Order: sequence, then C-alpha cells, then structure tokens
Amino acid sequence: MELTLERLNKRYEQQWALHQLSLRLSPGMLGLVGPNGAGKTSLMRMIATLLEPTEGRILWNGQDIRTHGQALRQVLGYLPQNFGIYPEFTGRQFLRYLAAMKGLPSSLLHRRVDEVLEMVNLEQVADRRLLTYSGGMKQRIGIAQALLNDPELLIVDEPTAGLDPSERVRFRTLLASLTRNRIVLLSTHIISDVEAVASRLVILQEGRVLSDTTPEALLVTARGGVWSVTVDQATALHLQASYQVSTMVNQVSGVTLRLVSPTRPHEAAVVVDPSLEEAYLLATGRQAVRV
Amino acid sequence: MTTIIHARAPQRSTATERTPPLLPVLIWELRRVLASRLFWFQALGFFCFQLFLTWALHASEGFDTVSNNVQLYASIAGTSARGLLHTLPLVLVMLVLLLPFVTADGVTRDLSRRTHELLMTTALPTWAYVWGRYLAGLLISLGLALLLLASILGMGMLLHLTVADYPLPQIGAVLFLWVGMVLPATILVSSFGFALSTLLPRLSTLVKVVILVAWIVGALVIPRGLGNTTTPPSWYVNWDPTSGITALGLLPAYAIHLGPSITSEAQLQQLILSMENKMPDLAGWFAPHLLLAGFSLLLVLMAALAFKRSRDVLT
Repeated sequence: MELTLERLNKRYEQQWALHQLSLRLSPGMLGLVGPNGAGKTSLMRMIATLLEPTEGRILWNGQDIRTHGQALRQVLGYLPQNFGIYPEFTGRQFLRYLAAMKGLPSSLLHRRVDEVLEMVNLEQVADRRLLTYSGGMKQRIGIAQALLNDPELLIVDEPTAGLDPSERVRFRTLLASLTRNRIVLLSTHIISDVEAVASRLVILQEGRVLSDTTPEALLVTARGGVWSVTVDQATALHLQASYQVSTMVNQVSGVTLRLVSPTRPHEAAVVVDPSLEEAYLLATGRQAVRV
Repeated sequence: MTTIIHARAPQRSTATERTPPLLPVLIWELRRVLASRLFWFQALGFFCFQLFLTWALHASEGFDTVSNNVQLYASIAGTSARGLLHTLPLVLVMLVLLLPFVTADGVTRDLSRRTHELLMTTALPTWAYVWGRYLAGLLISLGLALLLLASILGMGMLLHLTVADYPLPQIGAVLFLWVGMVLPATILVSSFGFALSTLLPRLSTLVKVVILVAWIVGALVIPRGLGNTTTPPSWYVNWDPTSGITALGLLPAYAIHLGPSITSEAQLQQLILSMENKMPDLAGWFAPHLLLAGFSLLLVLMAALAFKRSRDVLT
C-alpha cells in the first residue's frame, strides 16, 4: 500500500494553504507537525477526500483519488480535529451506526464494535447516551469509529486534544500498536506524542514541507543549538525578548532558561541535549515558552 | 500498572456480504429520530392538537333558514366530506408547519453538528446517503400525516357516539381526500424542503420560512381573499398544492336549495346529511395533486446529483 502526494497546491480565494507539496507514504506512522495555519488540516482533509486540491494529485496505490475516491474511503479511518456526535445515541449505537455506514456486514458489525470499545476502554459506558460523555470520552469514541473498518490508511488530526495525561499515554500506546501493515498519519501540536510513536516526521510551515526526517535525525541536527542558563529576572526577560525560550523555571537562585539558538546566547549558557520540541522550534524558528 | 492493548483486525467484508447501502442509512436515521424522546413528545403533541382541532371544527359551518317565521339551523359535520373541504386546508397548514423541520435538515444537520466529515469519509455512496436521509424524513412525515388521518377518523367516531345527529365519518370519502390532499402535500413539502436545504445548506432556515409563508398564503390568505364571490380558474383549482383553492372549487357541488318544504330543523338536518357525505368529485384535481408530488421527487433527484461530498471551505 502506498499513498503519494504529487505537487499539491491548495488555495482558498487569495490565500495559499499548501504549496507544491510532494510526499510518498508507506506503512508506518508519519507525524505531521507545524504551527497553526501551516496547512496540516487542509492536507489531511484533502487526503480524506473532503477537500479537492487546487492543483496536483493524490494517488492511493497508484490511483488518483479524485476519480477513485471510493477505493480509498473503503480502507480509510479518519478522526477529524473537531467532530460531532448524535446525542440521541448511546456510544455503542453510535459506533454501530457508523459501522453500518462503513459497510460492515451485520455478521461482523457487533463483534467489531465490541472490539473497538475495548480498545479505547469504553466498554463500561458504552450503553450510556453520548450526551452524558465527557470531552475525553467523546474523543475516544472518535478514535474508536476511525478503527471500525480496520483501516489501511488511518488519519488522525489532533487526536489527543482534550484527553487527560493517562488517556494520552493510553492513546499513544494504542496508536503505536496500529502502525503495522498500515499507514498512520498523525497531525498534532503535541510534539511528545510524535516522539513517542512516529518513525517519520514532516514539519509543515506556510504550506510547504520544511523538513521530512525522523525524530532521531531532527534531534541530531539540533545538537549544539539548545542552551541552559540560570540568570536573574531582568536578564531572563532580556533573553526572552531576544531568543527562543523553550522552558523557563523560576527558582530561588534565579530563573533557569532553556534557549534555542544556533549561537551561544549568554556567556554563562551551556549546551544541553535538545528535546524533540526544541529541535522542532529550532527548525521552525518559532517561539514557545513553558513556565 | 502496564496496559496491554491489542489491535485486532476484523475479517474484511466481501462485496457479497454487504447489504444494499440505502437500507442501513434509512434504518439508522429512523432509529436516530425515534431514539429521541423529544420526537415522541412532539408527535404526541401534534396528535392531541389535531384531535382538538377536529373537535373544535366539528360544527364550524351551518345552514340557517326561516320557515313560518321560525329560525331553523343545522350544522355540517366537520368530519364529513363537505366539512373536510372546509376544514382540511386549515388542518393541513398545521401539518405543513411541522414538515420542513422534520425533513429539511436531513443532510444539513450533519453539517451543523459536524458529523458530516465522519460520514463523508466512509465508503457510503453519495446517492445512498442523500436518498436514505430523504426517505427517512419522508417516512416520518407520512407517519405524521397518518396521525392526522387517525385524528379525523377517531374524533369523528367519538363525536358520532357523543353528539346527537352527528354522522359517522365516511371512511371512503375521508381516505380519498387524505390521499388527494394530505398525501401529496406531505410529499411535496418534504421533498421541497429537503432538496432546497441540501442544495443550499447555509440557507436552510430561510428555506423553511419561505415554504411556511408560501403555504400559509396559498392555503389561507388567497382563498379568504377570493371569498365566495369569485370563482377561481379551473387550472388553479386543479393544481393548487395547498388544496385551499381546490376546496373552494369543489364546494359549489355541495350547494343545497332550501325550499318551502323544509319546516323543521330535523328536516333541514336530514337534507344536510344527505348532501354532506357525498363523495367529492375527483376529476380534474386528484391526478394533478399526485403529479405535483411526483414532480417534487425530481427535485430530490437533482439534489442527490448535485450534492458534493467535498466542501471547499477553510473550516
């Protein structure tokens, strides 16, 4: 199985969301990261046949999905960033409904719904109305519906948004277990999610591929670019204004900063091992502060 | 604690195992609607209101005359064929007020609820999705139309048992009027509302308002404006989907001439009884009404063909 994106362009009126984007995806997990407005959601919606490219082609196993969209949809699992539910249904009914829409035969439908409910740990509340579900539970129902047809191509857009830390870990473990024999495309703002499960990392910026690499390779390129320094409050504010700060911790002895910079930002700064988030910041040149 | 998660692969289904795609859409949409308690409350409320309306209109029309300086009065049964021609356009308006809200949002509801993307990324064929949603809405609308029929017959029988001289509803005549007036109107409004809302999802509310206003004008305002003095043109009588003008055109066939032989209210009532349950003349208007319903299906077909799974919007 193979998904190929050929010189994709997407324009909304005068605004270009994607520029000449080309990628080739084979089984495994690809983490798609990038700042807001980078074009991640547009790209995912195009692959999911919800949006047509302005130019370029998307090929699923060599066939253009513009004309063979049905072939792709039969093997597609998609979790949108924001999705609605039918509040009249229970969790189990909602999944059975979507399983029926996905064309699962009735002989298989009930068993498969029970399986995915177990996978996302919702068996105990499956017969409660969706109206009573918390945000995290709704998100897990969304994940469950994407898995109903055992998809060959699984697209998940910000899947861990709204999940508590234990649910996030559980979801990451689940995603990691799903990467065999399928293509998983994971879009997220949470770099640690990608670090944990993705074997390939694509950074999008302003609709272009800024970097197509592996998490390990990105970390290697960031070596020597991340610094740690403890300074007083005034100096910390000065550094914060001049450099990318990934972490800022207030301590009794002063303020400890982790700075992302290709050059030494302060005479007392020492080089430290970069995290993937810092490597990402270095690549995108964006600023993020964690206090 | 270690959590072990196994991702098991389901047996992939073959084409021969799959059920026809229209059926699951239809069945599940019906299940979804019927799972809502609000729907059952609304249906019950509608039925009770129709019962009340039938009761309130059971003697809304009457004939009075003077014989030997004595004022004579006899009323027309609201559930008789003649009475229904007078009351059905109004009763039908009450049904039509509900129908766009039942059917128009069959597809647009998925857009507003954000369930659209979940459905459009399944292998469900577009035609099955649109027609399944339409047919589910139509079946629910027809269910409401049947409640209307049940309220007319049920209240008619109750009135027959409790009110002196109130005639038993003639089931044949009531059924013919239901099939010729209520059924086509139900299909027409359901199809119009669904098709226009599906084609213009952002204007869904406007579509409903336009249908309701147009219907009220056609069924109540124009017939009142014409009154009893103006004879509407026959094409309008035959092709009026609201049945307001159709009823107006059929009423002259029920005219009675009160002669000097009528000397008591019992005689007058007997004369009215012999007239009011006469089967209405079906020639001219019955087939056009059914044709209008048939044409409206073409609009749904157009909506199904024009419906796009992908939407070129940023969000």
